[in-house]
This record gives sequence, structure tokens and C-alpha cells, in this order.
Amino acid sequence: MPEITGFAFPNDIHVTWSLMIVMYPYITGFVAGSFIVTSLYHLFDRQEFKPVARLAMATSFAFLLVASLPLQLHLGQPQRGPYVIITPNPTSAMAGFGILYSFYLLVLVLELWFVWRPEIIDRARRSRGFARVFYSTLALRTYDLSPEALEVDHKAIKILAGIGLPAACMLHGYVGFIFGAIKANPWWSTPLMPVIFLLSAAVSGIALLILLYQVFARIDGRPVVATCVSALASWLWFFLILTITLEQLELIVMAYEKSESWIIISQLLTTRLAFSYVTMQMIVGGLIPLILLAVVVLMNRYLHDKVRNTLATVAALLCLLQVFAMRWNIVIGGQLLSKSLRGLRSPFEPEIFGREGVLMAIALFVAPFVILWIFDRVLGIEEPGGGVADGHGPPAVPTAGEPAGSHAP
Amino acid sequence: MSDCHDGCDSSRRDFISFTMRLTGGAVVMVAGASALGSSEAPKPEGEAYDWNEHLWAYLVDTTKCIGCGSCVRACKAENDVPEGFFRTWIERYVVGMEDSHVDSPNGGMDGFAPVQVGFVATKSFFVPKICNHCRATPCTQVCPVGASYRTKDGVVLVDTDSCIGCGYCVQACPYGSRFIHPATHTASKCTWCYHRITKGLKPACVTVCPTQARQFGDLKKEGDPVRVAIEHERVQILQGHLLTEPQCYYTHLDKEVR
Amino acid sequence: MEHARHVFRIVLVVVVMLTVVLLARGFLVPKTYGMYGPYRFANVAEQRNARTPLYAGAAACAECHADEAAKRAAGAHKTVNCEVCHAPLGAHVKADGSVVAPPIDRSFTLCARCHRKLAGRPARFPQVDLDQHVNAPVEGKVCLQCHDPHSPKP
Repeated sequence: MPEITGFAFPNDIHVTWSLMIVMYPYITGFVAGSFIVTSLYHLFDRQEFKPVARLAMATSFAFLLVASLPLQLHLGQPQRGPYVIITPNPTSAMAGFGILYSFYLLVLVLELWFVWRPEIIDRARRSRGFARVFYSTLALRTYDLSPEALEVDHKAIKILAGIGLPAACMLHGYVGFIFGAIKANPWWSTPLMPVIFLLSAAVSGIALLILLYQVFARIDGRPVVATCVSALASWLWFFLILTITLEQLELIVMAYEKSESWIIISQLLTTRLAFSYVTMQMIVGGLIPLILLAVVVLMNRYLHDKVRNTLATVAALLCLLQVFAMRWNIVIGGQLLSKSLRGLRSPFEPEIFGREGVLMAIALFVAPFVILWIFDRVLGIEEPGGGVADGHGPPAVPTAGEPAGSHAP
Repeated sequence: MSDCHDGCDSSRRDFISFTMRLTGGAVVMVAGASALGSSEAPKPEGEAYDWNEHLWAYLVDTTKCIGCGSCVRACKAENDVPEGFFRTWIERYVVGMEDSHVDSPNGGMDGFAPVQVGFVATKSFFVPKICNHCRATPCTQVCPVGASYRTKDGVVLVDTDSCIGCGYCVQACPYGSRFIHPATHTASKCTWCYHRITKGLKPACVTVCPTQARQFGDLKKEGDPVRVAIEHERVQILQGHLLTEPQCYYTHLDKEVR
Repeated sequence: MEHARHVFRIVLVVVVMLTVVLLARGFLVPKTYGMYGPYRFANVAEQRNARTPLYAGAAACAECHADEAAKRAAGAHKTVNCEVCHAPLGAHVKADGSVVAPPIDRSFTLCARCHRKLAGRPARFPQVDLDQHVNAPVEGKVCLQCHDPHSPKP
């Protein structure tokens, strides 16, 4: 039984939304954040992100595949999960999950297909047996890699990126809306919530890519392009400033207005959430990366590549912690205070094993990296030979000697 | 590059456009059929109860509550409420000029023992709490699958066969009336004893209250005492600033009560 | 167009998938869903018959126990439902008409739960300061030794 200080409504002492509901916005945050990075290249033609664009798209996809699992694991009746699509209640933000998730999945899969089409066709031609059947089905049995076809692909990619960016933002923004639209909970209820969620999603996505880019580059034996790292660091700094500003602004306005809920919320922050909010979210995850990234961005010209990479990596790791802490403080923190506004319950300790436990959360975080590894084996994340951009030039692999049937309907 | 001639291309084009038209037609037909199917109305089979004739409301007079907890025990027995969860509960307020103390030991189920407070108390009272069956309730608004709904006679219910146990309604209720049932893993709350009021009985809590602090009435019935009280006396509701339009009214509610 | 063949193919695949999903959904939506709102209307009748009422009210007890009912109606407990102190009707008379003798609580706790002097109780409500009731402290003593529960006022 949890300990209560003050008075809590008798039903209010249970934390219904547990670790899985902390993981869900964390994971969809990576989906949205990675897609923002890949769109900076595919939609806005920012060339400095080219080295990381394909990796970002694959990362968004890998996390998207895992994104619905925390919700399924949390449901009291998981076999009824599909009811959200069968009988969705139009006034419920949570019902939006079915449509938004499916729509964004569709858009992302289509964009992946267009971007990776040259590789799919290439592997279809080079493989035999079951692998060949697999790749040629994936290619939908068309093997057209002419400049005109690639130009069509390029247009399609741009259109899909243009649709996908708001879709990805909606997929994560609606999670913020789920919390922000609950007038019953004063820690959650604010119009800023979807914005804060989305901005911190961008932070987490860019931070993850800073890390993944260096890891994958090392595995592939490619050099880490300095302009890409400094571009990622700049955008990370930008989004971090926005996120922290809005998070603190909320708090400052609440404290200034001293509305009815401020007494219990300030108690919540100084007692139950002292470590996760003040130490982790604000200082370790907020102030320190802010300073590190300021150095990387403002002193960019004077920095040795290795120093820049190291500073950016450390800042990125701390940002990942900050975003997790922010999700924890909102989801769990909001349930530690009772709707009576007179009581707090003891801090939530997640179970280790079990459907909603710590081990499950770790598994959910690790799974997308496994998927990325499989993706790399099946399709290859980067282009072979390091480098012509998709749709901007002739295909990387010569088309001599294609097997029979490559033009047939 | 295709080495088919124009004939091949147009036949393939024809095939594709034919398939798309067929599919489009099928989609429209299916969507229409499912819309039609769901509007067919099975008529209530010979039931004497017509929900159009009633609009239920609840009235609590906090000056009469003695904090005996009979209502909490009766509700638990009537509705099989699990241990540690409450469909109704009693709160005790001990109020002084500088401070106030609120408690609800086990929801008030075993009554209350005297309590010592660290300030000078000038007044004390009991407040029964219950699901307010709000007219503009946030809990039905947020249910993703439509398992939580409000009936025509004004009662908010949970369809336990449709509920997926997501817990959103529990978070959305400003009064703490809802909980996730530990055995069925679906949402659960006070139903105003729907299985009783549709048979002419009152909710169990109202039936057993020894001082008639709890009253239940029909806003569509002429001369109903609850309706008369709400229409003519000064009544309060809980957390009125949230505009949930609760249908559980209180008389003589103190400012300390939330 | 010539070089957009692959676009047509992928669009076709997507359309087929959407059709399948919509078809499946058409079969899975419950028949009474949406009749009066975004919920399953059949549930309303299910809730009406969800369980048999357990409590019946004092009038139901009077049908068999007229003497006690008359005594109660003339005494200070006239507004107190029999089932507050005794078991609910559903625990006493079963659906098939058979009668089970319910346990009768004669303990001090039962009476004290309502009548112990507490700060929150209305002043005009009969409360007992258990340290000084009549002549001696009565905490834990059985109230029934001096009071008839059906007409308790001495």
C-alpha cells in the first residue's frame, strides 16, 4: 500500500499509467524526432544532413514498429486493443492512435520503399532462391531504374516527406494532447502540452541520431562528417532551448498565478519529484547539455573534430536522459498527486519483472536497435559505395546483364 | 525500359483502372452496409422501463450525515465492490481558522474514530462522495472505444464487455470516482445501482442511510422532493468551475470541500 | 507514365489493403453500436439486469415481521432501515423463496458506529459520550442490556 501525506481520494492512490505509458511517448518521440531530421534533407534539401538522412528514416521506422507495444502491454484487456480502430469514439484523443499510427506507418513505409528501391532492385537481381523471391516481391516486380523513373521517385519522396512530417508531428503531438486536455489534473492540463511534447521529441530524435550516426559510421568504416555533426548539434541546441524555455515558462506562470493547485504541485516538485525533476530534468539533462552545445555551436570554428564529436555525444546522452525524465515526471508525477489537491502518495516504484516492468521497458528500448541491425542486413542502411543521393543521379549499380523477366509485366 | 508496345500498356492500364473502380465500388458498398447495419434498432423487448420517462438526480444534505458508513457497506455488498476500492465513500472534515484536516479511513466503511488535530478546530462535518453522473462528463468524452457512456435517463455507465482497460477515464474524472477493477481489469464506478432504479427501487446507499442524508429522485416527476429541492433551494455542486454539470447536488456544502 | 508503372503498383497494393481493412471492420462493429451515441446500446439492457437487488427497504421486512416493524415505527429508530443493523433482504430470503437465518449483530461496535460522540456529527443527533453514559463508562459494554434496538429511547 502506498503511503499518503495529506488526504487523497480513496480511489486516487493507485498509479494506473505506469512505466509503459512513460515508454510510449519516449518511443514515439524518437519516431517523430528522427523523421524531422530526415525531412530536413528530403523535404527542405539541407545538404548537411545527407550523411544521416537514410539512417534517420530507418531509425524512425524501427521505433515505429515498436511504438504500439507499450500500449498493448499496458491495457487491462489487451486482446480488445483493436476496438480502438473498430469502434473509435470520435471525441477521444486516444482513439486517434489507430488512425494516426496507421496513416503515418503507411506514409513512412511508402517513403522507405521509394528511397530504397534501387537497393531492393539491385539485391533482387543479385540474389537467388528464396531471397530473390523476397526482393522481387518487395520491388513489386518492376525493375525500372532509368533517370526518368528515379525522377518520379524523387518527386514521390518529396510529396511523402511533406505529408509525413505533419503526420509524424501529429503522431507525437496527440500524446501531448492526451495529457494537456485533462482538466481534472492540474499538473497535466495546459495548452502547451502538445507543443512541449513535440519539441522534446525533436530533442530526443536528434540526440539519438548524433549517437547512432557515429556508431554506424564506425561500424561501416566511414568517416564522421564534421558539418553533419555540427548541424545536428545546432538543431539539437535550438530545440533544447525551446523545450526548456516552455517547460520552465509553464512552471513560472503557475507559480506566479498561485492558482489553487500550486500548493500541492510545489510540494510534489520539492518532495516526490526532487531528484527526477530538479536534478535530472533541469540540471543534469537541461543546464549541462545547454552549456556543452553552446560551446559546440558558438565555438564551432575553433574546435577539433574529435572534441566536437565528444561534446556533442555527451550532450546527446544527457538529452536522452532529460527527455526520459520529462516523460516520467509528467506521467508518473501527475498521478502522485490526488485530485483532492490535498495529498501526495509515495513515489512510484515500477516492478522489475512483469508485463509493465523495468525489464520489459529495457527490452522495448533495445528492440528498435535490433530491428535497425536486421534492416541493415536485409536492405543496407547506407548506399553501397558511399554515396550518390537517391533520385539525384544515375543508379549506383550498373544495369548490365539483368536477368530475364526484368522488363516483363 | 519496357519493350512492350502500346497495346500492352493500354491493356495494363485498363486492367488497373478496372480493378480500382471495382475496389472503389466495393469500399463504398461495404461502408454503406456497415453504416446501415449499425442503425437498425432492436426494440427493447417488452420491458416495463422506458428510459425516456426518467431523468435521475441525487441530493446530499451534509448537515444530516453522521459518518456511520452504512452506505459504504451497503454499496459494497450490493455491487461486489473489491477491497480497497470504493464506489462511494465518506470524508470527514475538521476545520479551523488556520488549517483543515480531511480523512477517510477505509472510505469510512467502518465508521470513524475520534481524531486529534494540531490546531483549534471550529467546525467539523461529514461529506458523502459518489460518482456525480455529470451531464457534460469528461470521462465519456475521453473513452477511446465508447465503453463509457451516458444513458438517456442520465446515468453514466461502463460497458465492461467493450472496455479495454486503458485507464483514461480514471485519469479524466475530477472527483476520483473511478477505478480499474483488480479482477476484471476494466473501469468500474458507481452506477446509481442501475439494476435497482430501473425496477422502482432506490440505490442501496440511499435505501440504508439512517438519517436520509442521501436522497435520490426523478427530475421528470412532478412533485419529486429531490426535484423540488434542486429547483427551489440553494444547492451546490463539486468543482463547478470545471463545468462538468454534475447531477449530484449538495446542500450546505462548505468551502473546504472539493 | 511509362516510368511511373511502379507507382501504380504500390498504389494498387495500398488500395487493396485499405479495402480489406474496411471490409473487416464492417463485420466487426457490434450491431447495436451507434444507435443512441458512440456506445453499444445492448449494454443498457444488460446493466438493467446485471444483478438481483440485495437490499429491499424497511417496507419489505414489515411483510413478515409486522411486530418489530410496528415497534420500530413508533420509536426513535423509525427512520433507520432494518437492513442497516440486520443483513440485507437478499441474504435472508433467497430467490427461490427459502429463508436463511441471518446472523444478528448484537455487539457494542454496531451501536457505537452511529452513536459514539464525534465532532462531525450534527448536534441534535443522539450521541453518547462513552466515558460518561448515565452513571459509568460504557466503552465495550453491550448496549442491548439497557436499550431495545427496535425502540431504543428509554
